[in-house]
Amino acid sequence: MEKRYWKGVEELNNDPEFVRLRDNEFFEHLPLDEAIQKKADSGSSSSRRDFLKFLGFSVAAASLAACEAPVKKAIPYVVKPEEVTLGIPNYYASTYADGSDYCSILVKTREGRPIKIEGNELSSVTKGATNARVQASVLSLYDHARLQQPMANKKRSDWATVDAEIIAKLNQQIASDRKIAIVTSSLYSPSAKKAIADFVARYSTARHIVYDAVSYYGIIRGNELSFGKAVVPTYSFDKAEVIVSFGADFLQNWLSPIEFARQYGETRKLRNGRKTLSKHHQFEAMLSLSGANADQRHKIKPSQQSAVVASLYNKVAALAGGTAVNAVSTPLDKTLDAVARELVAAKGKSVVVSGSNDPNEQVLVNAINHLLGNYGATIDIDRSCNLKGSNDTAVAELMSDMSNGSLGAVIFWNCNPAYSLPDGKAFQAALSKVALKISLADREDETAQYCDYICPDHHYLESWGDAEPYKGHFSLMQPTIRPLFNTRQAAESIMKWAGATQPDYYTYIQDYWRANIYPMQTGISSFEAFWNQSLRDGVFEAAFVIGGASAFTGDVAAAASQLAKPASGIEVLTYEKAGLGNGAFANNPWLQELPDPITKICWDNYFAVLPAYAEKMGWRQGNIIEVKVGNVSVKGPVLLQPAVADETIAVALGYGRTKTGKAGNNVGFNAYPFVSLTTAGMKYYATGANVSKTVEDDYKLASTQTHHTMMGREIVKETSLAAWLKDPRAGNATELIASPYGPKTPAELDLWATEKTPGFERVNHAWGLGIDLNSCIGCGACVIACNAENNVPVVGKDEIGRAREMHWIRIDRYYTSDTTKHNAADKGLGKLDMYAEMEVPAAENPQVMFQPVMCQHCNHAPCETVCPVAATTHSSDGLNMMAYNRCVGTRYCANNCPYKVRRYNWFKYSDNEQFPYNMNDSLGKMVLNPDVTVRSRGVMEKCSMCIQRIQYGRLEAKKEGRRPKDGEIKTACAQGCPTNAIVFGDFNDPNSEISTLFKDERSYHLLAEINTKPSVFYQTKVWNRAEESAAKHHA
Amino acid sequence: MLHYAYRHLTSKLLVLFLIVIFQTPLVAQPDGAALFKANCTACHVTGEDVVVGPGLKNVHLKYKEDWLIKWIKNSQAMVKAGDAQAVKVYEQFNKVAMPAFSLSDDEVKAVIAYIKAESEAAPAAPAAGAAGAPAADAGAAAGSDNFPLILLLVTILLIALFLILNRVQKGLQRIVDQRNGVPEPVILRGKAGVKHWIREHKKLIALLLIVGFVWGSVEGWNALAGIGIQQGYAPDQPIKFSHQLHVGQNKIDCRYCHSGAEKSKNAGIPSPNVCMNCHKYVKKGPQYGTTEIAKIYEAIGWDVDKQAYTGKTKPIEWVRIHNLPDLAYFNHAQHVKVGGVECQTCHGPVETMETMSQFSPLTMGWCIQCHRDSQVKTENNGYYTELHEKMKKQYGPDVKLTVEKLGGTECARCHY
Repeated sequence: MEKRYWKGVEELNNDPEFVRLRDNEFFEHLPLDEAIQKKADSGSSSSRRDFLKFLGFSVAAASLAACEAPVKKAIPYVVKPEEVTLGIPNYYASTYADGSDYCSILVKTREGRPIKIEGNELSSVTKGATNARVQASVLSLYDHARLQQPMANKKRSDWATVDAEIIAKLNQQIASDRKIAIVTSSLYSPSAKKAIADFVARYSTARHIVYDAVSYYGIIRGNELSFGKAVVPTYSFDKAEVIVSFGADFLQNWLSPIEFARQYGETRKLRNGRKTLSKHHQFEAMLSLSGANADQRHKIKPSQQSAVVASLYNKVAALAGGTAVNAVSTPLDKTLDAVARELVAAKGKSVVVSGSNDPNEQVLVNAINHLLGNYGATIDIDRSCNLKGSNDTAVAELMSDMSNGSLGAVIFWNCNPAYSLPDGKAFQAALSKVALKISLADREDETAQYCDYICPDHHYLESWGDAEPYKGHFSLMQPTIRPLFNTRQAAESIMKWAGATQPDYYTYIQDYWRANIYPMQTGISSFEAFWNQSLRDGVFEAAFVIGGASAFTGDVAAAASQLAKPASGIEVLTYEKAGLGNGAFANNPWLQELPDPITKICWDNYFAVLPAYAEKMGWRQGNIIEVKVGNVSVKGPVLLQPAVADETIAVALGYGRTKTGKAGNNVGFNAYPFVSLTTAGMKYYATGANVSKTVEDDYKLASTQTHHTMMGREIVKETSLAAWLKDPRAGNATELIASPYGPKTPAELDLWATEKTPGFERVNHAWGLGIDLNSCIGCGACVIACNAENNVPVVGKDEIGRAREMHWIRIDRYYTSDTTKHNAADKGLGKLDMYAEMEVPAAENPQVMFQPVMCQHCNHAPCETVCPVAATTHSSDGLNMMAYNRCVGTRYCANNCPYKVRRYNWFKYSDNEQFPYNMNDSLGKMVLNPDVTVRSRGVMEKCSMCIQRIQYGRLEAKKEGRRPKDGEIKTACAQGCPTNAIVFGDFNDPNSEISTLFKDERSYHLLAEINTKPSVFYQTKVWNRAEESAAKHHA
Repeated sequence: MLHYAYRHLTSKLLVLFLIVIFQTPLVAQPDGAALFKANCTACHVTGEDVVVGPGLKNVHLKYKEDWLIKWIKNSQAMVKAGDAQAVKVYEQFNKVAMPAFSLSDDEVKAVIAYIKAESEAAPAAPAAGAAGAPAADAGAAAGSDNFPLILLLVTILLIALFLILNRVQKGLQRIVDQRNGVPEPVILRGKAGVKHWIREHKKLIALLLIVGFVWGSVEGWNALAGIGIQQGYAPDQPIKFSHQLHVGQNKIDCRYCHSGAEKSKNAGIPSPNVCMNCHKYVKKGPQYGTTEIAKIYEAIGWDVDKQAYTGKTKPIEWVRIHNLPDLAYFNHAQHVKVGGVECQTCHGPVETMETMSQFSPLTMGWCIQCHRDSQVKTENNGYYTELHEKMKKQYGPDVKLTVEKLGGTECARCHY
């Protein structure tokens, strides 16, 4: 890990002259402009001639300069680490656990540099799944906004001084009998918890408070009320046949989204003879990713949710034998009858979840699950999920302790309350009364700026650590690079202050594992061997059987009586987005530029409202509105978002950071003020909002998709389960083209040589991708995985606004329209009006479909035939190749591409101050994949089907003298996909997964009618909903 | 007297010259120096220093020739047989066994003669750049082809000859004319003369212009095409490492140091810890003595006196010779391990290079040409078995399975 390559000593020393020369290839300034200017000023007529002279000189100078090749240095390791072979990546198992997401991962390192995160298939929890945030986390390692040493009172300090001062001051607090608080986000590292316990033991007045920006206190408290256990249970969506979610976006943010997405994906696969799908109902206000994937989505206002849950409880109780509670009637009674019937029919094979933070609503949800016999089947209350542990009442207590001066010292670890508490100003005022304020943040964030000491934490890729996401399921974190800066991991700081005898946290963890976890198994007889195996696998599952069968003892009637009543008026709902989540990664430009799966907007948050409601209120997209709730007033732009509940404004948390770093500062606005800390806990929606339109200029939102419907074309093919069971080709009719010989398939009318024509056969491999639209949830993990793998530049909001995003893979999101070609005549619409109407998403509750689109690697590629310089050509194994150095940038190919997947480098995005993202930053560049060229200005680029991975996998096979095994080579998108919706393989191998999938009747090529013969194919989306609704769309 | 002495000297020089000319081919003796280099330098020097074995200065005085021959041919047999002197030497040098050498008596004698000559010679300073080509400047890596220069010289000479002969001929003509009474032609001088000449020689001028233009174009084209090609590039390196010594004489396999060549895309420059595998013992080189080896010690932080690592390291900054552009992907393992290509195919006779230089042009044309000509090594590689059968069926049993046939000239094999 001590390996570095420098071009020279100048680079090592970061010599300013070197930096100048490196950044500017032709640094000699030719006095062209001045010369011309001077001549022009003096009125001389010879300026044009001089210009030509200068031009001639500069051409000569440039060619002379080009003759001398620069001297390049090659500096080998002094002592090469045994495990490093230059050019060969190493993979280390580790754990991503930041309080929001949990994921068991593999870290790909090259010459000691982590460059890519991949899922760990050995984990029984995540099983190789990832999400966008996990994929992007590697970039946060190379973030220049991180602090490089401990800070004491805003001045640089060193660890010995800081430790001595902090320990002395902590002891002072003890002496004056004042409280000490360690505030962390949800923490499930057993050894870190031990460190905190040690700390509490050493400082008698100390206590540990868990505070999450987005709290799950309601579930924990609800389970305490229901089962006497303050825990989050284990959910198994893969065992569920009916899934009902009330505002819980379990595919993107709720609880353990990576794991749930993986489980959910399994229930949406129609492979290997599986002929059933789960049935998913979603009740929600804002269109979430889970809602978009639901078979049936029902719109409710946030304040109606509790009443709907109570109503469903009554209906289930009526069918399954429970006592009814008092419930307000809701307009959804009819729907709820059907949902209740489905639930009861799938007793023990269903799961009902709620995203509410209201304990009473959670008690009712528990009661429903209890009546359905789901405990012990799809939900396990005895195997606790440790991922969330925030305690909202403790947070409220902390606030009062701070304001009344009884708190002497506070330590913030992985939390940022000054930003994420509803009232940041009040928090700041209360904080100023605390004598000793310590932050363990990695940067001087909104909270750390008010702290006396900042003891910067390592990035997780530099840290040792462990995690116990579920009872008995352990996961290890190991460093994959030496600390870049003089930082220290937070747990080690706590451990040091607690006076631990161990020299470092590594020893501390090992001691903990030796004493507590090693005895949980019997197979391995030495701790060293056990440790090494756990470290190599990344996970360890204890062999013990989790006992106990907790009985439901909740008081449903009492809970129902305390439920929130539906309110009238405008409501504001806060939610998290796929990229930024709660805002901790705001300085990660990959996540900022990830288009939101639903709105397709990058680099902003906004007030999302239903188009019909906006029209009623006289708002247009981009209008700045002012939303007032109580004494909170926030201004922001309007976004017209179909499928939002009426009279509801949805706004994303995580934006409006002010102290996170160059990329994330002042992007969007902070929506946390709409959250409120009530006696029952955090409330993530507000009722009774006053909204007024301001006279400010319209705001531009940068979106990557401006067309929202398919306008009657079959781009995403879909059908219903019932129709598919009758006819496996349902919804996937072959396109026929009229010809002089009668209707023919496009392939029969081929003009070109095919792979069957002699000389054009795919003799060796025929690579391809298969994408199952039924299990693709549209989450965007593939987009970030591709960014990391292929050195895709970040272009920023302005360029996105000009439709110049560089992502090689995009996820198209389509809404259905109320008007179809079939019902247009009934509506009395002419052809033109019909198409105009078809462009408008359905007014009420459109269906949503996702479709990842990358280069389709057409075997009859329209781009190849129009390139004047043969820069894009076809390979013998079915790939559409792009030679950047040959490209002259005519962009003919992009114009001729029917899939619009080619991306043009309008600028040089690296070493260009106009784009202040990772490629323009000496540290940020460390994340670049050395196997992929960084493209320059003026060339076209596009998905290469991760050819570097193909080359690598093929060579490994050749070196071992065998054919590549199926599944051995995976593209980055396929690797990162949490639901395995993307499959990569070789069509020439008849037994490969992709060959089997392609034979399935659901398979089709995108725009098959133009006969481009892509190497990428899709599989029809099958909805599990009543046949007539799908039939309506297709007729 | 002086004249006589001079003549004497001349004859002496003549005799010397003849001796020098004829001696070499006449004497068919084994070359002691070469034998010493090939067999002994790994452990011995001709000076006094101990490398692995003792320094061999004046060894011919210390031991009898017969004994030395026996010792060199098989020292261990002598030790086992209990030869007192042999056992003494063996124990004196830490019981490091000297391997047996299958040399003839004459060859051993030649080696001893070489050592004798070296011992008697005054201790000369290490000859700088003794062998191998003088190093070219680091930046300018132009080819060393002198042909155009010679051509130019010859041309100038011919033109001069032509002018002289022309003048002589004209002079003679004038004399003949004068004799015959032909009136002298009016000679125009200055501008008018030039104009007149041009008028008279239009064809010649046109010809010259065309030739000049074609020659200039060809030269210009070649010059431009050569930009960036560093064939023959042999920069000075921070350590005067001799491949000729290590590979040529000591027969160390390339992959001992460049261990990545079979595994990875990078063959890799060995890290100094690899050098230390041998140079912990080999402390002195035959050419530069300890100066160059000391640089390894400095880099890795090896204290020679204490025989211990100091922990202070200083990475060696080699000058990169083979600079493939970043846009080109090249993989050593594919060529060395899978393709079975010899290192020398691309890197040239490295075993003879005192200073490492770039042998091949490393142009795309050069790559492609080889991919068109070379056959894929399909034997004993399961990857190709089925594929080869398929190709045979398709193109007949004699199909030449070249790299190109398997897509080896497609853009994205090397550019992505």
